[in-house]
Amino acid sequence: MSAFPATAHRSSAAVRARPADRIFRLLSTAAAVSIMVILAGVALFLILRAVPAIAANWTSEADLKSGVTGGFPSFWSYVAPLAFGTVWASLIALILATPVAIGIALFISHYSPRRLATFLGYIIDLLAAVPSVVFGLWGILVMRPFLLPMQEWLNTYLGWIPMFSGSVTSTGSSILTGAVVLAVMVLPIITSISREVFLQTPKLHEEAALALGATRWEMVRLTVFPYARSGVVSAVLLGLGRALGETMAVAMIISPAIITSFRVLTEGENSQTIASNIALNFPIATGLQRDALIGTGLVLFVISLAVNMVARLVISRKPRQRRRPTGDDGGKATAAPDPADVLAASDARVSPVSVLHPESVSK
Amino acid sequence: MKVLSFGRAAAVLTVGMLALTGCGGNASSSSTSTAAGSSPAGSTAAAATDYSSLSGTITAGGSSAQANAQAAWAAGFKAQASKVTINYDKSQGSGGGVTNFTAGSYDFAGSDAYLTADQAAKAQELCGPGGAINLPVYLDGVAVIFNLPGVDKLQLSAETIAKIFSQQIKTWDDAAIKADNPGVTLPSTAITTVTRSDGSGTTQNFTNYLHQVAPAVWTDPVSNKWPVAGSSAQQGGSGVVNTVKAGEGTIGYADHSAIGDLKAAAIKAGDAYVSFSADAVTKAVEAAVTPAANAKEGDLAQDIDYTKLTSANAYPIPLISYDILCTTFKDPAQAKLTAAYIGYIASEQGQKIAAKNAGSAPLPAELAAKIQESLKKVS
Repeated sequence: MSAFPATAHRSSAAVRARPADRIFRLLSTAAAVSIMVILAGVALFLILRAVPAIAANWTSEADLKSGVTGGFPSFWSYVAPLAFGTVWASLIALILATPVAIGIALFISHYSPRRLATFLGYIIDLLAAVPSVVFGLWGILVMRPFLLPMQEWLNTYLGWIPMFSGSVTSTGSSILTGAVVLAVMVLPIITSISREVFLQTPKLHEEAALALGATRWEMVRLTVFPYARSGVVSAVLLGLGRALGETMAVAMIISPAIITSFRVLTEGENSQTIASNIALNFPIATGLQRDALIGTGLVLFVISLAVNMVARLVISRKPRQRRRPTGDDGGKATAAPDPADVLAASDARVSPVSVLHPESVSK
Repeated sequence: MKVLSFGRAAAVLTVGMLALTGCGGNASSSSTSTAAGSSPAGSTAAAATDYSSLSGTITAGGSSAQANAQAAWAAGFKAQASKVTINYDKSQGSGGGVTNFTAGSYDFAGSDAYLTADQAAKAQELCGPGGAINLPVYLDGVAVIFNLPGVDKLQLSAETIAKIFSQQIKTWDDAAIKADNPGVTLPSTAITTVTRSDGSGTTQNFTNYLHQVAPAVWTDPVSNKWPVAGSSAQQGGSGVVNTVKAGEGTIGYADHSAIGDLKAAAIKAGDAYVSFSADAVTKAVEAAVTPAANAKEGDLAQDIDYTKLTSANAYPIPLISYDILCTTFKDPAQAKLTAAYIGYIASEQGQKIAAKNAGSAPLPAELAAKIQESLKKVS
């Protein structure tokens, strides 16, 4: 991203600019501008449509008192549980997906034979291409009955944990089932970005660690992880972005209620997400109700924007805080020269995520 | 006009947004906008039942309950008027249908509820002083479906249904259910109520029924969004049907035409328990409808008084879906075309086709005649 203007500009000044150059530059500039215009347009549309519903008196406006938005004293009391549900469902999905995704990525980048790695990479990318409606159907027909016994077990034996309390679901359409399916959906994003980042680890570092007597796992822990930390964090955040906006699968699987509830195993106490609430209620909503739903969309827009901005911030921040080896791995690591210094010595760092286009992964 | 075009742009943007967030399958044909004026002047001489000289495009959308019937009607009409194209966009839902109609994008809207006073005022801006008329063209019933192994036939009174769906009865062997089903052995299985998670005309009708017939038990509001917490809420009629089918001890409600091979309860009316039949729905509509309070001339919006349904041959929870159109179109040829199509829908043949393909109930003869009468005034 940042490489283009600096070098290209200088060389075009040296060589006389040709028409083709100018046209191409114009086209690419136009493309870059259009994305800003589109984004601004969407934001403007959301704000313009949302304002009437946000400003309206929810206790007296006939449109808002009944139906889709009925029973809420104000816009904020309507959107708050939805925003919570959106973040809550996505968070559970990430907690489930991240360890698996990092495991897969690491296996592909550092453990598997090359041919298997290529094949696995294909499979993961294929997973990203499955439409979310298909995931939704899979969730309803396969995952719901499949996860039901596990949910009953969790409720019976771990029901004292607030998250697992409540009357357990009898059809399986709990937020946990939804989160499991969401986790599968964000898996390819986190995996493919993490894999690329892991592969960027300088061979020199890895070999240095191995030469110092580190085992394969220690090498990964001492060289790959510290190097990839910011990249993995941004991968996770991009996965979060996908999870936040996911509509269809969530709408199809979860039995929602517009409440703030941490319970994950119930039928009637699953916090609804913004995106699926819009999808479910927009068709029947009229007038101000539609504006209210668009208002919730604005809130989702802001949340996603915030997540993405945090992701960018994490990527751009000087990464690696040095972490000294902690006590439990003691002996070997301290006997060797501090690996963090080895890392710091060569600082030919490539910003891990700039080499790919994570957006292209998220469909 | 500026507002209108903004609204349309907004609708397109919204659809685009939904598509971007991964909501596939939203094949919207609403972008075709008003297809008026495509009908040549020569078609004005068409007689009421000979459609062959008609041509043009009808753009409509709304209620998904009508979707199967609309598809059958469009095919049936096309067979007689080969130069006519009919686009009915069911992805819009009733609310979207009415919104697009009052924005001027549709020739008619399909809706499970007649226009509210607000919407009627908006429609008047579009249609002129005559406003829009609601024509009840599609009848069905709300079925109470259940899945309880070992129990094939179930009888329920309105009070019992209200108690079950407001979560006051928790198990199938409750005294109230037993009282409705003498001689049937009921297991102690826990009841799971399955409802709609999306806003729906079916929910509106069902809550309205419970509100009217069992007011002492059902204290929740009448709403197109399910008002009681603690149920298993599923997307769409098919979601409810699938979940009831897959579960055990489940009970839910859905348009009868969508329930497939699931068992539906017989519902108490007066002293008898009435099972669903198309004929019983027609009888129910005959007996229970009264013209809505704000109905203008030619408008056939109907209020259902469920408490009148006490005879053994009328199904207690009928469901009415409307087609809504202007009395005055901007283009007379388009008016003629649209009126001809809806006339076909309300005709005996049209109703038969819908009954066969969509499982709907035929209109009472008197109501069908009134629809044809109203359509004559559309110009």
